[in-house]
Amino acid sequence: MTATHPLSRRTFLADMGMGFTGLALGAMLRRESIASTPGLSAPDGIPHFAPKAKRVIWLFMNGGVSHMESFDPKPMLTRYGGKTIAETPFAGVQDPAKLALERLVVPDANGNQRNKLYPLQVGFKKHGQSGIEVSDWFPHIARNVDRIAIVRSMFTTDSNHGAQTQFHTGRNMLDGEFPTLGAWVHYGLGSLNDNLPSFISMGTREYWNKRDGHYLGPAHDAVPLRIDPGNPLDFGKSERPISPEAQSVGLDLIRELNTLRGVEYPNDPALAARVASYELAFRMQRSVPEALDFSKETAETKALYGIDLAPCREFGSQLLAARRLAERGVRFIQIQHGGGGAGAWDAHGGLQANHSRLALAVDQPIGGLLEDLSRRGLLEDTLVVFATEFGRTPGSQGSDGRDHHIFGFSVWMAGGGLKGGVAHGATDEICFHAVENRHYVTDIHATILRQMGLDSRKLEVPGRKRLEIDHGKAIMDIIA
Amino acid sequence: MRLTLPVFLSTLPFIGIAPLAAEVDYGKSVKPLLKERCYSCHGGLKQKAGLRLDTVAGMLIGGDEGPALAPGDAGKSHILNRILATDLDERMPPKHEGEPFTTAQAQLLREWIAGGAKGPVDEKPESDPREHWAFRQRVRPPVPEIENAAWANNPIDAFIARQHQKHGILPQKQAPREVLIRRLYLDLIGIPPTPAEIAATENDDGWYDSTVNRLLNDPRHGERWARHWMDIWRYSDWWGLGDQLRNSQKHMWHWRDWIVESLNANLPYDEMLRQMLAADELYPADPQKLRATGFLARNFFLFNRNPWMEETVEHVSKGLLGLTMNCTKCHDHKYDPITQVDYYRMRAFFEPVHVRLDAVPGETEFDKNGIPRVFDGLPSEPTFRYIRGEESKPDKSAPIAPGVPALLEFAPLEVRPVELPLAGREPERNAWVMESHLAAAQKKNADAKDGRGRELAKAELEGVEARIRATRAEWSGGDAREDAIRAEQRIAVVNARHAVADAEAILEKADAQKKPDAEKKVTDARDKVVKSEKALTEPVKPDAMFTRFAGAQWTPTRFKDSTKDDPRIGFPASSTGRRSALAAWITDTRNLLSSRVAVNHIWTRHMGQPLVATMFDFGRKGAGPTHPELLDWLASELVESGWDMRHIHRLIVTSATYRMSSSLLGAEASVARDPDNHQMWHRLPQRIESEVVRDSLLALAGELDTTLGGPSIPPAAQDASKRRSLYFFHSNIEKNRFLSTFDAADVKDCYRRDQSIVPQQALAMSNSALVHNAAEKIAARITNAAPDESGFVRAAWMQILAITPNEAEFAASTRSLAEWRALPGGNDTTARTHLVRALLSHNDFVTLR
Repeated sequence: MTATHPLSRRTFLADMGMGFTGLALGAMLRRESIASTPGLSAPDGIPHFAPKAKRVIWLFMNGGVSHMESFDPKPMLTRYGGKTIAETPFAGVQDPAKLALERLVVPDANGNQRNKLYPLQVGFKKHGQSGIEVSDWFPHIARNVDRIAIVRSMFTTDSNHGAQTQFHTGRNMLDGEFPTLGAWVHYGLGSLNDNLPSFISMGTREYWNKRDGHYLGPAHDAVPLRIDPGNPLDFGKSERPISPEAQSVGLDLIRELNTLRGVEYPNDPALAARVASYELAFRMQRSVPEALDFSKETAETKALYGIDLAPCREFGSQLLAARRLAERGVRFIQIQHGGGGAGAWDAHGGLQANHSRLALAVDQPIGGLLEDLSRRGLLEDTLVVFATEFGRTPGSQGSDGRDHHIFGFSVWMAGGGLKGGVAHGATDEICFHAVENRHYVTDIHATILRQMGLDSRKLEVPGRKRLEIDHGKAIMDIIA
Repeated sequence: MRLTLPVFLSTLPFIGIAPLAAEVDYGKSVKPLLKERCYSCHGGLKQKAGLRLDTVAGMLIGGDEGPALAPGDAGKSHILNRILATDLDERMPPKHEGEPFTTAQAQLLREWIAGGAKGPVDEKPESDPREHWAFRQRVRPPVPEIENAAWANNPIDAFIARQHQKHGILPQKQAPREVLIRRLYLDLIGIPPTPAEIAATENDDGWYDSTVNRLLNDPRHGERWARHWMDIWRYSDWWGLGDQLRNSQKHMWHWRDWIVESLNANLPYDEMLRQMLAADELYPADPQKLRATGFLARNFFLFNRNPWMEETVEHVSKGLLGLTMNCTKCHDHKYDPITQVDYYRMRAFFEPVHVRLDAVPGETEFDKNGIPRVFDGLPSEPTFRYIRGEESKPDKSAPIAPGVPALLEFAPLEVRPVELPLAGREPERNAWVMESHLAAAQKKNADAKDGRGRELAKAELEGVEARIRATRAEWSGGDAREDAIRAEQRIAVVNARHAVADAEAILEKADAQKKPDAEKKVTDARDKVVKSEKALTEPVKPDAMFTRFAGAQWTPTRFKDSTKDDPRIGFPASSTGRRSALAAWITDTRNLLSSRVAVNHIWTRHMGQPLVATMFDFGRKGAGPTHPELLDWLASELVESGWDMRHIHRLIVTSATYRMSSSLLGAEASVARDPDNHQMWHRLPQRIESEVVRDSLLALAGELDTTLGGPSIPPAAQDASKRRSLYFFHSNIEKNRFLSTFDAADVKDCYRRDQSIVPQQALAMSNSALVHNAAEKIAARITNAAPDESGFVRAAWMQILAITPNEAEFAASTRSLAEWRALPGGNDTTARTHLVRALLSHNDFVTLR
């Protein structure tokens, strides 16, 4: 390529061999079409300012985790358990003005006000130096409480499971479909690794939340990976038997022929990008199984993630894979936990059985992940996020469940330049409304983007006006 | 390295460094800021409070509240005081109109004022929005005289060549014949040429024009271009949660077939739009044309009417008019002369719309077939402006009537209600409805195998016959109700008796544990026999009714409660006429936008390079046309040819512009002058669409099933299917894995298809069973025609890539063949298959050169 070509700057960066190769190449591969459109220019994969975090491990609990039985326990619930909210000193929470933020997408029997307070279904204790209270269902995360920053004052607006999409895109589903956070990171930063996709998803994604790129394009959808050494990636293995030797002759020939075409078609960026994409594809074909191969992991490490225990095996394997992918430079690893219905955590009934079982499946793997990342020095520049679409009602649904609750719930983040051992924001005495330092879901996005060195305003695409609320505000109180 | 990257001003609040006090450049930093934040209300579009901020002179003159600027005295400058006001009623931009200025932005303004508020002497104010190119009358431009007349093949080239001339650029030479053949085939029918078709051009001087004519009249042309329009018009099969339909409609393929057939019949573009928007008003008795309204029926949303209406307004505006009306849902448009009320006026055209399935001949079950179409089911539903776009805050003081933005109106809009034919409101009157039921009952009767089956089928047939008699009697003022009711009661008796027999058989086999339950079921079944027999002997109740034939089925919504259907919407006797009025306005030759938007869509898909890059935004925020006169000339050709799309296709593909090479060989000087090809001096190579990749594989393998039309191929049947890709079931969540890899259409929004280059494509081309299978078949076919190795290599290159291999390419191919042959188990057949697979992975297979 000559210096007159529009891609010359990126090529220049790539040629410098200063660690930008992956970035620039990724940018080139992904942006060819946009780069050729006059008036549109895509980001070049360079952070807008110095980043504190290089990658994100995004853990999302489908269905809605009870905030009060996880990271925001409140004794008043137990004290007034069985009473209607109107009978307690906290009757004011049901002031219609305070409930007006709701924008329900799918009206049904769920997502309603539940008036009779339901006592806490699990005990809780103070943990760590910080003395933050965590429920007894999450002992492994609790052990790491000094590594995490809990945000206890989240709210969202859709009282049904469209809130899953809303947490990822920042928009209520009534507004349409929008790129997810992972897609923005992918769009803005590209890859740190030449051999792996830079945005990966694992686990269960419900139907309304299957895609990421939306108007940024399908090239920014997460690449789904499976913890299945036989078939980890779509088309990752030949669907007909072929010997490695025959494949290697073919690969050499493809490279040679594409390069030879460059004589007839000089300065064709697509040709160059396609040659590069083939190289990447075949490295990926080897590196994906390698990244998912746990045989070199010690028994102690596997045990840390609970892979030797039946309830934790699936999620633990995904998290160990996540660490291995993070180590290899994958930018955004999105793992969604809990399938069935609208998400496994959706405990309309039998909350105690449901949450204790699911907590058992995720707690040890997550605790293990935090400890493993930390001892490998990776937690410093890896953001781990634990999120869910909404909390659950302080009141009971039926005899033993809790309904969807958008007015206050908890998420937490760790690593990547954030503070540990902090609990930011607060709900009221009965966990109903976020009352102190309230945060909409895009504040989580803003915090992550900021740590990743991205300014969401600079990523805007012409013709796609984003609103102030889409950008959110970084939660400065939890940034170290 | 990263830490030394330049730090830009707007990142300063993040970093916390104060900006340096230096001379503030108005043109570079102040004006862009004011433009972004203030001009929409104080510029060319609007002059609120009589104030314009689009020139320094305007600011000094000021508005109702006096001058906005006091040069040198920031404290006395109104503009800064209003920006910094803490009282929200004072602050600019006002609440809900924009976020407040950041500290750094305000500081910038302060320093500029303190430094004397200097601006350029010859500063021009923003022009009147009516002067915007797309809002000006389309005037057919004269075809320019050009120096390079020999190059030009038709007027398109004259417009292009004039720009070349102006910029001192020479066009690249014409592409080689084989490249042009492949270009025409892939562009016009989406399938590569056969060896015979390539050979036929060799000794034919007139091959180009004759090929163009032949391909434009090929039924595969309709399939190819239907997919383009399906992108723009947002074709989607239905989707939802499991079996529950939440979006779009069942059997949407009828609309797809209508598009294919209409293109193959060269139905004029304006007529296509009229049918899509209002066939139910214009041709209420023509089921073939009613299929066109799938365009609107596709926007259905089970739980909420608002997103359904919003998508309709947004994409009618973007897709047909190049207007971003969606921006005006909450507030007046910030760039274009469209008010918030205009948005709701546009919505009002669609407010009465509801969706139903119309019965088709030969099918009695709507789950199996039916035409999804719209009708004005809610004729008196009011449209209200939502305050700040919030659905929960309708302004009920003033219902809004349908209308178009004032700037775009050329004649008063006439909305006349349309009386519908009887079969419109009573669709069971369509002859085929009762015929289908009768034929189905007769067939069941004829096919019945045992005595029991015959007994039921006979009763059912008698039931259908009696219902037909009763229905007909009713239409002619008679009454044969009782007969039909009795016939249905007799069916109930037969069914009840059969149920007893079934229950007794179960009881016989039941073990001790299940016996009590089985016994109870026998008793219940016997009770039912008694009851059904008794009904037969009792007089028919005056309000009893037989089962009506359904000629159409309302698509139920669940706006009130997601667990049960809303009350049924009836089929009214008339339609509001609103959509016919809208269609008349959009397709009027005086409409400023429709023809321009249409030719830009067509041009872009032929050339891979738009005339207006923002396909869906021809407004002031959009990209201007690279060749405004060419755009208007093409639009005039479209309109004056009677909206003949084939005429436009022919003009474009026979131009010299279209035939240029995509090679930049020897073009260093032109690259230096116009690296981004704004002046179209060479073709841009295109990554072919996912459908073309798959269809080409099947066609080359000789396996493509060329059946036209029909129900969408369900996901489970797609791997085995050899049908063209446009027939695959495709929705927001059901997408073919192979097609998705190559950027299948986003059903929500696809004004231009992505052309990504991602490694997964390389994996799909190397590893998928589809490609393996095709390679084997292609290699065998080519071997049959060209058994010797060098003939095989040349034929493979030509058919797969439309390339005559050069010496090096040929040598590399034969060397690899030898290497594959030498591998364990290798032979001619395996080696040739490997070579074909490698050529399928060649960049130029997925590229339109």
